[in-house]
Amino acid sequence: MIQIEANPEEIYDIELEHSLLEANQKLAKENRGLLDRHGITAIDFMGAIGSGKTTLITRLVEKLKDRMGVAVFNGDATTSNDADTIAGYGVPVVQIATINGCHLDANVVGKACSKIDLKKLRLIFIENIGNLICPAEFPLGSKARVVVISVTEGPYMVRKHPHMFLGAQLVVINKIELAEIMGVSVEELARDVHRLKPDLKVIPTSCKTGAGLDDVAEAILAV
Amino acid sequence: MHELSIASSIVESVLTFAEGPPPRKIVKVLLQIGELTCVEPEQLAFCYTAITRETALEGSTLEIEPVKAEVVCRHCGYEGRPRYWDDALADTCIATLQCPRCDKATEAVGGHECTIRTIRYVEP
Repeated sequence: MIQIEANPEEIYDIELEHSLLEANQKLAKENRGLLDRHGITAIDFMGAIGSGKTTLITRLVEKLKDRMGVAVFNGDATTSNDADTIAGYGVPVVQIATINGCHLDANVVGKACSKIDLKKLRLIFIENIGNLICPAEFPLGSKARVVVISVTEGPYMVRKHPHMFLGAQLVVINKIELAEIMGVSVEELARDVHRLKPDLKVIPTSCKTGAGLDDVAEAILAV
Repeated sequence: MHELSIASSIVESVLTFAEGPPPRKIVKVLLQIGELTCVEPEQLAFCYTAITRETALEGSTLEIEPVKAEVVCRHCGYEGRPRYWDDALADTCIATLQCPRCDKATEAVGGHECTIRTIRYVEP
């Protein structure tokens, strides 16, 4: 391996303050500005694969679509399965295929915004990639981040992904109808969340029974 | 993973500087990575070495300076280091947004840096 050894008299240092996350942050601010001007609240849903993000978004779309304009951006590595499901409810859906990407970014979300008519919308649900590490550093321009975990992922999901929770405004603990069989305590998961961020709202839900879904809808509309 | 995309951003920025004019030989890039940033320093350094091979930056090193998290509490006025959760899982201490003084929610005011701070170079 070549290593550069410099002669001490010839070395110069240039001092910068160049943020590497700035480019995405700037685009996120632009997205947020655009959405604010149209009176639209965008919600970024994050969670591991299988946590129930799509089902939760689908249930929320069912509940709200007759009261207000709702659109969904669906980030998926390779398939359009989720987007197709939601499109069946008659709301605008934009599929963002990320192929090898591990997170959505403000750039692709900005492009998705240009693909729909923003005029009659009140809510945009953005389903992020099923990954609880990478999306944390890449704001999209949403008004709030919702982290979805499920009891089927075990008792340590909060401890394993602290950064994700520190940046969230709402946590949904899903599939609570399976908590007993899984031997996972919803209360302990909620306690873990509050050890990280004391004021973070936690709503236990079951998309199967409908428990907690009205609370989630209310929390989203109050953002 | 996104360490690669961050390494690419670093290389892009530094290459622009290296081109000049006048052209410069880059010796070292100093990066500040905040404690609350979800970036793994070792992976980042590895990606940087891998992608600078056969470029004008080959042989330059990436040095990473960690920046500690700082929080403020609007409830009791505390300013300083965050409370750490040190028995969450083995090995790692997790910074939290729980006030070390009054237990309520704090806000982070430092620790989210992901910044090129200094480029050390030689003018041939």
